[in-house]
Amino acid sequence: MDRRTFLSYNAAALTVPAVLTTYSNAALAAAPRPEPIDFKSNLPAAGSFPDRWICGSESLMDNTDPPVHVHWYNAHTAILRQNKAYSYEAPFAPLYFGNDRVLLLDEGFTQLRNDWDLRGVVDECIADWCARNGRDPASLELLVAFSHLHADHYAAVNQFADRPNTRYMGLTHEEMVGFWGMTNYPEEQVTLDLGGRDILIWGSPGHVVSEFAYYDSYTQILYTGDMFYRGRCYITFWEPWFDSMTRLMEFVDTHPVTHVMGCHVEISKDGEDYPYGLTWQPDEAPVEMTVAQLREAYEHAKTITEPGIYFTGTVFLCNQTRSFTTIDSNPYRYS
Amino acid sequence: MPQTSPSRPVPTPTPTSTINPTFSGNGNLASGYNPPGVKNTDSAVPLHPSAPVVHDYSCDGPAAGRLGFRWTYGSNVAARNRDPRVQVVQYNEDTFVLRQNVCVHWEAPFTYLLFGNDGALLIDSGATANASYYPLRDTVDAIITRWGQMRRRDKVPLTVAMTSGEDIAQSQGIVQFAGRPDTTIVPTPLEVMKRHYGLSVTWPLGTSRIDLGDRVIEVIPTPGAHRDGVSFYDPYCDFLFTGDLLFPGRINISNDRDYVASLERLKAFAAREPVKWVLGGHIDMMFVPGKHYPRFATYKPYERILQMEPELIDEALQYAHEVAGKDMMLIRPDFVLFNGVSPDQRTRVWPEGVPNIDAPHPF
Repeated sequence: MDRRTFLSYNAAALTVPAVLTTYSNAALAAAPRPEPIDFKSNLPAAGSFPDRWICGSESLMDNTDPPVHVHWYNAHTAILRQNKAYSYEAPFAPLYFGNDRVLLLDEGFTQLRNDWDLRGVVDECIADWCARNGRDPASLELLVAFSHLHADHYAAVNQFADRPNTRYMGLTHEEMVGFWGMTNYPEEQVTLDLGGRDILIWGSPGHVVSEFAYYDSYTQILYTGDMFYRGRCYITFWEPWFDSMTRLMEFVDTHPVTHVMGCHVEISKDGEDYPYGLTWQPDEAPVEMTVAQLREAYEHAKTITEPGIYFTGTVFLCNQTRSFTTIDSNPYRYS
Repeated sequence: MPQTSPSRPVPTPTPTSTINPTFSGNGNLASGYNPPGVKNTDSAVPLHPSAPVVHDYSCDGPAAGRLGFRWTYGSNVAARNRDPRVQVVQYNEDTFVLRQNVCVHWEAPFTYLLFGNDGALLIDSGATANASYYPLRDTVDAIITRWGQMRRRDKVPLTVAMTSGEDIAQSQGIVQFAGRPDTTIVPTPLEVMKRHYGLSVTWPLGTSRIDLGDRVIEVIPTPGAHRDGVSFYDPYCDFLFTGDLLFPGRINISNDRDYVASLERLKAFAAREPVKWVLGGHIDMMFVPGKHYPRFATYKPYERILQMEPELIDEALQYAHEVAGKDMMLIRPDFVLFNGVSPDQRTRVWPEGVPNIDAPHPF
């Protein structure tokens, strides 16, 4: 199967069974198969974000929250957020369900299943969804993808290594681009069919070279990874980043977008910067942003010519400053 | 030598040790500080004193002691950490070093508890006020109670003093001591603190004293990292407690003129008085030279040891001169100086002649 076929094929029809079981056509026809869920009408699908995500604690060893906050945005969309007491990166990870496949975007900053069993959590979510929709978890293919090649997004991928009926991205630029069957990165936009639910994917470099933007046509959430999120957008390569922003602008001009969602939150509701590595963000801003905020950031970005840190009102644009300049200052300084 | 009641019968002299006391773990039977009736435990405290024990704190050279235990260093998954919230290491019978668990607060400050014949001194108070997260008061109370029981002392007055009252990584636990009987808390506002020490006129020159009873702790004003920074000198163990001014970690200079002047005074002090170790308030460095943990790190398995040789005062002074007046950070093998830059600042400048070794990544 070539990559283009892979993007749109009917996974359920081609599932390799975990045990050898054969069915006659008559048996297949007789098997109870619930009506496929309609992901194409009454868009955007209603959904909501929680008022408050788990956000670490004052004393980490006294943190009693679960390792991950699973929030069902709607019946067919879950969003995972790692506990800050398990990793300060605390990334978000959407889980999109289609009739044939499940897409997990980003993985949280964990490696070992006994540190934090992400795979177990994903399996639970899938079992939960299947129970609600009268489906067999084994019939769903899991796609484990990530927005870009940083460890807080891919480190957990090994947990899925022996999971049946699962595909995950490789850890090189070529493998990532190849996973989505792109030949003209970053401009090319591909459509991933999860079984009636289309995910639009295109290149969004700037934070790093290999990064993707994901648009879910069902909830109409635009997922921008670390390239644009509510916090410090570390822009390693300005020109590609600005081009990616231009592509996002063209996209939001032509497609309805309910929320723009990044991978982290590093800022308080009042715009106070939460410094890198902080493990308690009691007053953090919501993860979702509006299209207006994205446009505002783009307008602000047009005026930027020099490396430095710029606040757009929503996010900090850290133009080529990563590792060498931060926003925080010594609070005890006196003259 | 402890003084015991003369009414007690004098036991027969203990025989000379024939086994290596180090291996026996039971003290050297022959040594003078191991008097009869002490059961050869290397303790200066008699086992069953009938009157309050008075210890002679005068000694040639630094009092013996050891920091023979690894500091707790947090966990990869901080929420799963089950180390003690307060790690207590006894340096010798009258000197305790306490460390806050890294997974309770990433600053993981060190707190020191010193005893004299008339009372105890707690230097610094940790980064967490909430006693259920960080039970400093309970821990200190337990140590003091036990210390008093061993010496037949009902009352051990406590003084709580800060290396810096404004530093939230050292002053938060002080609220736990509010209302504690027989306790003097050195006030934290700068002017009141100066008045308390009798340094209003001379600050930052001059020194003050905290008399613990035959163990007189010297208070040296050392602003620079903090406006109200002070250091303490213990003439019994020959320790200099420098808090945030000098410690194996990321030293944030808050005023470079004060910082240089304070180090100069410390250098002069160390030339005048014997200093065995400089003990700071934190550890940020790794045991590979020049590498440090970032802020908020809750897993620090390759931490450097706490104690610094007194020569590091000279080195710190030399490089403090170098950064004075400039906004820069400067890496040295045992500390990093930040002057006028963000506490998260990084640099590509690596010190000459220092091997550049990367500690293994914990993941």
